[in-house]
Amino acid sequence: MTDFFPLFIQQLFNGLSLGAIYALIAIGYTMVYGIIGMINFAHGEIYMVGAYVGLVALTAIGTQSGLPIWLIIAAMLALSVTVTGVYGYTVERIAYRPLRSSPRLVALISAIGMSIFLQNWVGLGQGTRDMAVPSLISGAYTLQMGESFEITIAWSRLMIIGVVLVLMIALTLFIQHSRMGRASRACSQDLQMAELLGINTDRVISFTFVLGAVLAAVGGVLIAITVGKLNPFIGFIAGIKAFTAAVLGGIGSIPGAMLGGVLLGVAETLAAGYISSEYKDIVAFGLLVLILLFRPTGLLGKPEVEKV
Amino acid sequence: MKHVRTTPVLSAIALACGMAVAAPSLAADTIRIAFGGPVTGPITQYGDMVKEGIYTAADVYNAAGGVNGKKIEVVEVDDACEPKQAPVAANRVIKDGIRFVVGHTCTGATVAAAPIYNNEGVVMVTPSATGPVLTDGKNYEFIFRTIGRDDQQGPAAVKFIVEKVQPKKVAVLHDKQSYGQGIAESVRDGLKAANLEPVIFEGINAGESDYSAVITKLKAAGVDFVYFGGYHPELGLLLRQGAEQGLKARFMSDEGAGNPDINAIAGDAVEGMLLTMPADFSTKPENAKVVEAFQAKGRNAGGAFQLSAYAATMAILESIKATGSEDPAKVAQYMHANSFATPIGEISWTPQGDLKSFDFVVYTWHKDGSKTIAEK
Amino acid sequence: MLAQLPRALIAAVFAFVILAPIFGLKLVRQGMHSALQPHWNIVLWGCAAVFVVQLLHPWLARLFARVRLPSVPALDEEHHLWAWAAVVLLAVVWPFFGGRSAVDIATLALIYVMLGLGLNIVVGFAGLLDLGFVGFYAVGAYTYGLLYYWAGWSFWECLPLAGAMAALFGFLLGFPVLRLRGDYLAIVTLGFGEIIRLLLTNLTDWTGGPDGISGIPSPTLFGLEMTRRASSPEGQTFHEFFDMPFNPDHMVIYLYLLALALALVTLLVSNRLLRMPIGRAWEALREDEIACRSLGLNPTRIKLSAFTLGAMFAGFGGAFFAARQGLVNPESFTFIESALILSVVVLGGMGSQVGVILAAVALTVLPEVVREFAEYRMLAFGFVMVLMMVWRPQGLLPMKRPQVDL
Repeated sequence: MTDFFPLFIQQLFNGLSLGAIYALIAIGYTMVYGIIGMINFAHGEIYMVGAYVGLVALTAIGTQSGLPIWLIIAAMLALSVTVTGVYGYTVERIAYRPLRSSPRLVALISAIGMSIFLQNWVGLGQGTRDMAVPSLISGAYTLQMGESFEITIAWSRLMIIGVVLVLMIALTLFIQHSRMGRASRACSQDLQMAELLGINTDRVISFTFVLGAVLAAVGGVLIAITVGKLNPFIGFIAGIKAFTAAVLGGIGSIPGAMLGGVLLGVAETLAAGYISSEYKDIVAFGLLVLILLFRPTGLLGKPEVEKV
Repeated sequence: MKHVRTTPVLSAIALACGMAVAAPSLAADTIRIAFGGPVTGPITQYGDMVKEGIYTAADVYNAAGGVNGKKIEVVEVDDACEPKQAPVAANRVIKDGIRFVVGHTCTGATVAAAPIYNNEGVVMVTPSATGPVLTDGKNYEFIFRTIGRDDQQGPAAVKFIVEKVQPKKVAVLHDKQSYGQGIAESVRDGLKAANLEPVIFEGINAGESDYSAVITKLKAAGVDFVYFGGYHPELGLLLRQGAEQGLKARFMSDEGAGNPDINAIAGDAVEGMLLTMPADFSTKPENAKVVEAFQAKGRNAGGAFQLSAYAATMAILESIKATGSEDPAKVAQYMHANSFATPIGEISWTPQGDLKSFDFVVYTWHKDGSKTIAEK
Repeated sequence: MLAQLPRALIAAVFAFVILAPIFGLKLVRQGMHSALQPHWNIVLWGCAAVFVVQLLHPWLARLFARVRLPSVPALDEEHHLWAWAAVVLLAVVWPFFGGRSAVDIATLALIYVMLGLGLNIVVGFAGLLDLGFVGFYAVGAYTYGLLYYWAGWSFWECLPLAGAMAALFGFLLGFPVLRLRGDYLAIVTLGFGEIIRLLLTNLTDWTGGPDGISGIPSPTLFGLEMTRRASSPEGQTFHEFFDMPFNPDHMVIYLYLLALALALVTLLVSNRLLRMPIGRAWEALREDEIACRSLGLNPTRIKLSAFTLGAMFAGFGGAFFAARQGLVNPESFTFIESALILSVVVLGGMGSQVGVILAAVALTVLPEVVREFAEYRMLAFGFVMVLMMVWRPQGLLPMKRPQVDL
């Protein structure tokens, strides 16, 4: 098998671009979980809304407008981020804030309800049939390696990896150094204590939801451009995968979510490539179970301290 | 159960219930036909296609004064394409006293609903459920379909591949759903019998968006022909991502993929794709009137299930007209015994309710959304 | 009211941002391209409504504060039994007079009652968050489906086995994962549920793949089939035996009564379990695991028993589901089903059996009631779920534990 190595590189690249999107969505899960300890099941739907808004923006501008492509994409991102930010804020206000002091399971059910609601909300507004996104970036960089197989690096996928990388770095810097980032780290350490120290925790929580939504929206727009197909139900599968990624990396930990996302994407792609697509989800979930058996709090999760 | 010899109160309740059940049939100065299929959920568009056919048929018959002096009324019953909801929907149809159903739309839901209709003596004609499992070995009297079975479509594709395309390495993919996997298996078995064993036979997850791993695999295996069993969204993505990775293989698929939306998803990559579809009856001159009736209401007769739904509705109504009765038993008997001239050709049924013959034609799909009969 | 003005204005702007891209600018297909079709009316009305509601917010809040939700009258122990007897009697009698589609929906509701009560043991009593409950439900359903298909077993032969199989799966899966805590446990159970479903889809040769297994016979009544004709020449049908005309309603009512019986058994068993030492141990473990351990209880064994018993009831529910439907396929066992069962438990009030029953009935009947609204149906369903949680976070009927006031 002289072609083994280039083939592996190609699959690795496919996996990285998929994993990058998982990571973007997983961050939203993990940040919310880190601060208020709830699983925001509607997060996948926010990603879907982001993709739809991106498509609306693209259709409004038109592919034949003659504007440079990067400007079109920037406009799609800007609009999508604004709208989903508002969605994230509103969802938190309506469905989660009243439940702040209730058991976490109650908020989980509220989130599942919200998820069903948002799917049908978009389905009602934009129809449930698949919408196509015209391809903006075509072409690929090909690299001849081995004897007969050539590696194809599609520009659109390269863009995904690039944008996600930049966002991750920016997010890490923001969390480490900004006032809001410090406040949110304090909240995730101890919400009550942070409140006693004068941090407006409601604002931090709202901000977390908005930030998570914004990242998910970027993921939505990027995947819409690359994949070219949307329907109101895409958020559900992506949401579950991203949630899996977040837990894999250790829920509550932002680097963990990044690592978990990439790992899950690569594992899935390699499983599809070398075993069978039929078994790729089994491999993904099997990997999750295995890792959790040996590291019960995920790869980068902090061990929970049992309080008596 | 007529145990009404208990207290007067209970019998009063029973009477009220009985009246509630009887009320719709008292007011029945229309012939009601139920549409069973997805009104909600992710695949409503297939339901929409079926509905367009039923409504158009109803409009045409109503414009001609109805059947036996009665107008036709269409009632929609939602099953969301879920087998779980189908029995509930079927029982609702029966409760409402409706005796004719065009639907259900998806094979899974139809399989779950069919025994209820058959037990209850309700005529059900599905214009879109293609799974052999619906009728095989069931001996239903009241269940019919106006569409070919998966195992009729597969051989048509195999014949074309073996005789005309003559590829070197074939891959067969499917979407792991009833419909797609059924056809894909039939194609795989046919190819095996013709000594052209597929090098890859694999299912992909419907509803996902990234199939690049499979594409890479196809490319590495040097596949020059891909058959896909499933629906257009997944095929569209395979084509688009295949083009992106420079996969040089020809694609072929089934009627479920024959939807103009595929052009929007895959763009120019669809050019030259092959599809087995029922002959396009909407272009036949003898159907001009029917197509006009579709267009008059802004509906499209050229989709996958519109005309088969029209034919299903038509067969029921013609049988009611011929027998002069709305007794489902008589109607079913008449349908079994006779043939009908419908927009999808002259149709008649085998004793188990499948069409005696149903022709599939291989088309080449073009990037402007048109299709022509494939030469090779 | 003027003080509310800025707030209302901001809310209206938010409403605009939320509505405009989804409802205001509709994507429509024109040939192969998409175009936007503006529908500003909906957006403007929506914004106006939000504006007015926010403007009148304090006033409305005062109005709603006065509206009190009706509370269920408390019954003392003596009347309890009578109330139960009356409810059960009513449940047995009404299908003979109700319409068949109502009975059919009630049967579906009873399946959820069974599943809800089963999951209640795991989530409500033992406090283990299980998101893969549907996997055990699938195991039960496929046990019957496969045994019928490959060996021709009947429903009554399969029913105990379905429960046992699901319990076995619960035991085997529970064993390695129960040392995980909280949400890690949740995601692993979710993973297991998905793996079971994917295996059922992929093992085409055994399970029929996505088609599943169809033609599964309904349960018989002491060997009497409830069909128009007997399936074998020597078989006898119910209506022949009693010399009655064939009436398909009999089948519907029989299935309903069977579901009722199974649900009642589940209720009684879980009720007894709760009062036994094992039930007390579940609750103790839920409240404080460390305290339990220091009192000498073995947390793994206790958790495992809850997990296994819960799975067993899901197995019974699954076998019944297969019999009612006549068809099992992997589509019926997706994650959303797990979420629905979990909603039944939480909506009812965790640990409260009466609450779970109420919630199961509500969640099954609600989509049927709003069926007339077609595409608004699931929208309303999701919205009501959120509303219910916000209004009654403790559930419809929260569990009351026996206590003594000193």
